[in-house]
Amino acid sequence: MKHGSRGHGDRRQSRVTGAAICVAFFFSGQALAGDAPPWAEKAIHDHIDFTTLEGTLSADELKTLVEIGKHLFTARFTIADGLGRPMATQAIIPTQRKHPTDAPFRRTAGPDANNCQSCHNIPVLGGSGDFTANAFISEGFESFDFDTLDPQFSNERGSVSLFGAGLVELLAREMTAELRAERDHAVAAARQSGEPETVALSTKGVDFGELTVMPDGLVDFSGLEGIDSDLTVRPFSQKGVFASLRQFAINAMNAHLGIEASERFGKRWTGVDDFDGDDRPDELSPGDVSAVVAFQATLPAPGRMVPDDAGWREAAAHGEKVFADLGCAACHRPFLPLNGLTFTDPAPYDTAGTLRTGEVERPAQYDLALLDWAKALPRNDKGQILVPLFGDLKRHHIADGEVNQLGNELLAQRFVERDVFMTAELWGVGSTAPYGHRNDFTTLDGVIRAHAGEARAAREAYVAAEESDRSDLIAFLKTLVIEP
Amino acid sequence: MSARALFLGVLVSGLGAAAVHADDARPVPNDIPDMHEEALAAGIDHKYSGPWEFFVGGGVAAFDCNGDRLPDLFLAGGTNPAELYRNESETGGGLRFEKVSMGIPDEDLSRVLGAYPLDIDDDGLMDLVVLRLGRNLILKGKPDCQFDVANSAFAFDGGKDWTTAFSATWEKGLPFPTLAVGNYVDRMAPGSPWGTCAANYLFRPHPGDKPNYEDPTALQPSYCSLSMLFTDWNQSGVASLRVTNDRQYYRGGEEQMWHVDPGKPPRLYTAAEGWRHLSIYGMGIAQADLFGNGYPVYALTSMGDTKLQQLDEESDTDRPVYDDIAYPLGVTAARPYTGDDVRPSTGWHSQFADVNNDGLLDLFISKGNVEAMPDFAADDPDNLLIGQWDKTFIEAGKPAGIALMRRGRGAALVDLNLDGMLDLVVVNREAPVSLFRNRGAKRSFGDIPLGNWLEVELLQPTLNRNAVGARISVKTGNHTMDRTVTVGGGHASGQAGFIHVGLGTAERAEIRVRWPDGEWSHSYRVFANNFVRIERGKPDAEYWLPPPPAETKPGEATQ
Repeated sequence: MKHGSRGHGDRRQSRVTGAAICVAFFFSGQALAGDAPPWAEKAIHDHIDFTTLEGTLSADELKTLVEIGKHLFTARFTIADGLGRPMATQAIIPTQRKHPTDAPFRRTAGPDANNCQSCHNIPVLGGSGDFTANAFISEGFESFDFDTLDPQFSNERGSVSLFGAGLVELLAREMTAELRAERDHAVAAARQSGEPETVALSTKGVDFGELTVMPDGLVDFSGLEGIDSDLTVRPFSQKGVFASLRQFAINAMNAHLGIEASERFGKRWTGVDDFDGDDRPDELSPGDVSAVVAFQATLPAPGRMVPDDAGWREAAAHGEKVFADLGCAACHRPFLPLNGLTFTDPAPYDTAGTLRTGEVERPAQYDLALLDWAKALPRNDKGQILVPLFGDLKRHHIADGEVNQLGNELLAQRFVERDVFMTAELWGVGSTAPYGHRNDFTTLDGVIRAHAGEARAAREAYVAAEESDRSDLIAFLKTLVIEP
Repeated sequence: MSARALFLGVLVSGLGAAAVHADDARPVPNDIPDMHEEALAAGIDHKYSGPWEFFVGGGVAAFDCNGDRLPDLFLAGGTNPAELYRNESETGGGLRFEKVSMGIPDEDLSRVLGAYPLDIDDDGLMDLVVLRLGRNLILKGKPDCQFDVANSAFAFDGGKDWTTAFSATWEKGLPFPTLAVGNYVDRMAPGSPWGTCAANYLFRPHPGDKPNYEDPTALQPSYCSLSMLFTDWNQSGVASLRVTNDRQYYRGGEEQMWHVDPGKPPRLYTAAEGWRHLSIYGMGIAQADLFGNGYPVYALTSMGDTKLQQLDEESDTDRPVYDDIAYPLGVTAARPYTGDDVRPSTGWHSQFADVNNDGLLDLFISKGNVEAMPDFAADDPDNLLIGQWDKTFIEAGKPAGIALMRRGRGAALVDLNLDGMLDLVVVNREAPVSLFRNRGAKRSFGDIPLGNWLEVELLQPTLNRNAVGARISVKTGNHTMDRTVTVGGGHASGQAGFIHVGLGTAERAEIRVRWPDGEWSHSYRVFANNFVRIERGKPDAEYWLPPPPAETKPGEATQ
């Protein structure tokens, strides 16, 4: 993938050729272009032009893109790459500071890393993070320069595992489309009938409450559950407030590394190409972001470990039954059905500030079914892929007056109350201790006992269960692993 | 020195004479809307015509007359009949209008210069105040775009004057709106037209359960007004009446602002109070809170320089001392920005709006020779000045596609196809109406979507149901964008309906409303790219969903 535009006729050939060159560049350490020697203290030697990604990527092209994305994910960025944001805050919309900072890193307000891997590495690259790698999430508008761990200023969060993230995003896209279609159908029906129409919102077996549409088009959203009123399923971050890997990657690159993607922080939306004032214009191109997205989107789905120990196998089998019997599966659904594995980039539901489908001549698209791990996913008799995420991509109240450990935060995030979180996917949970959104539960038993609010009944059932049932449940959860 | 004075000083010295000019060649970093003219294709074939009396005027009223929330268009015609076009556009699609009969006598639709929509009797149906050469009309709205002439019913004396301006406000303690009518030259007075300006009038409603506008008050002296605007210029909670006057015909006149205090006779702001003498060919008034400090700035069109009036920061905020900042901000728009005609421009309608949804206000000015004035540009395209982050503006009329060499008069920036992007309708003298659909930002392969947006509708359960005078404050991060609901201003042109706000890259926003009586609402949390209704007293904002387009593209057509 090279700079500059190319004719459509030779695009395919040039893209493969370009890809090969880029691979050579990244792996041999040989500088392709520019004046920087191979030992130069920078990670990004060349930016990817998004137009070279447009259309359907072949298996080889996808592989190359993923390798570049992996390089960006593991690279140790420097100020030569634009690491640091002396004049910008961590906010997800471009927000300037009044006074510059004096240091590239700040443990609390950020930037707090020089590479993505430093937080996403348990059990392997792309996984979750330990308590040591917790991030302090704040909006970045007022009090953006906090230097305290006081929860009045930030929400302390563990890093989630990215394995299976591509499937999660594809599920979210399909669910959003289905919910909006249900809404639009109700709008049309109400206009036609002249009567209010109430529609129960449900997709892939997950209920999101209901909405009522008046004949004139006014909508009553008071019956919605677990989703934003624009009916976009936002499956990323602990609270489920970000719609796409692309949006999240741009947020994180700015917040944690101070590397600003031009599609949000560039001239079009800020008037300048060096918004963070570090003398590095256009730090991350749309093509670079696509590479980072591709790396994450193609991380395999976590799987199941078959223990060598026969006793464990037996306990796990029984534990899976207990999981359902106690009601855990009501939210931690073992499977959600996915209709297709084609990943398009940009995503369909992002808003201005993240590259949108309508902003490119053709989106890039790649078929996750090209990947061996995706081919091995189970399917139902309708041909749908059964994504074994043990989640529902829905937000729930998870604390109440009596059991409140998961209601520890003081700050709401993006209109979502402080004690509401998205159901954590349990695939891979056996590999990603510690647990909880703050990474402060060392055992699965502990975090289960902290469930409350909408999960209180299941939690009580767990507490009241026989010790052996609880143990078997743990045995089962421990088989849900990220395979090396 | 105040921060703002310092900022402006730096701007002037930094920009010098190079960048801020009609020939400003600065590139526009933010989106320029791709405005596609499609009046005929949309079914609008209309012209504003007539002799001397119709050199001025030529307004449009954009409002919903049939309850579907699509803005319909009432177009002044001059000696041609005024016409009402019902909006039949598909959501997000091409513009489509159908001419409809209003159910009022043809005679009343002749000699119309402009119109302003407002719900005078708070019955939920928009009424229309029609400005004419001769008897002005109050048209009481009925369902399905039908109207009744309500002059008798409302005891409104339409007069016989050459009416060119209008504004309205709801005064505290009065059951219906106070109307201000601006008149131009008294053609019958001896020595006309020089120094013979007809009186303007203030119509205050009498107590009662229906509008009664008997016994208006003359606003003297009057100076051939072409635009008026009730405006709370100093955050006092009481609107004053700003009047822009045409020095072509007055003698000894100037720009004016009237105290219109509840229960008291109107009186002019005086020099002793700080009102500075300003004499221009005043054609249009636009207001906006450009600096986010609650104090509006005013764009006054004229022949030659447009004025941008900002409250002087060195003075007490209760003193209406205004400085002109048009030059440092790049909005003088003094001559055509394209073509070979280098003579001074003639400006008419002015309007602040966010045409590219980047969160910054832009400024539209319609332009065109009065008729054949030899000292002024004959080829004089309308301006579209794109707001920048440093508070300056850069001209983009030509790349936007609106640089038609027509004589623009009244206009409206309004979302006609409910896609969140502001479209543009311009009434032209002796030329077809221009109807521009905003298709997004142009790229080599087509148009791409603009920034995020919101459109807000307010409702009060009491009188003044549409909350005229309310301030809508939209907060995204550390950035706040304010809009005020007004009736008046522009050039003979008014709008009612959703108030548009661009949000740039913000995915969500918090809205607060300062209702006309001064009470602030709590914060309403809303997601971007939605039509929002805020009803006073309700805990949450409601969304309104337009009819889905006929062909829904996956992941695209719905919001």
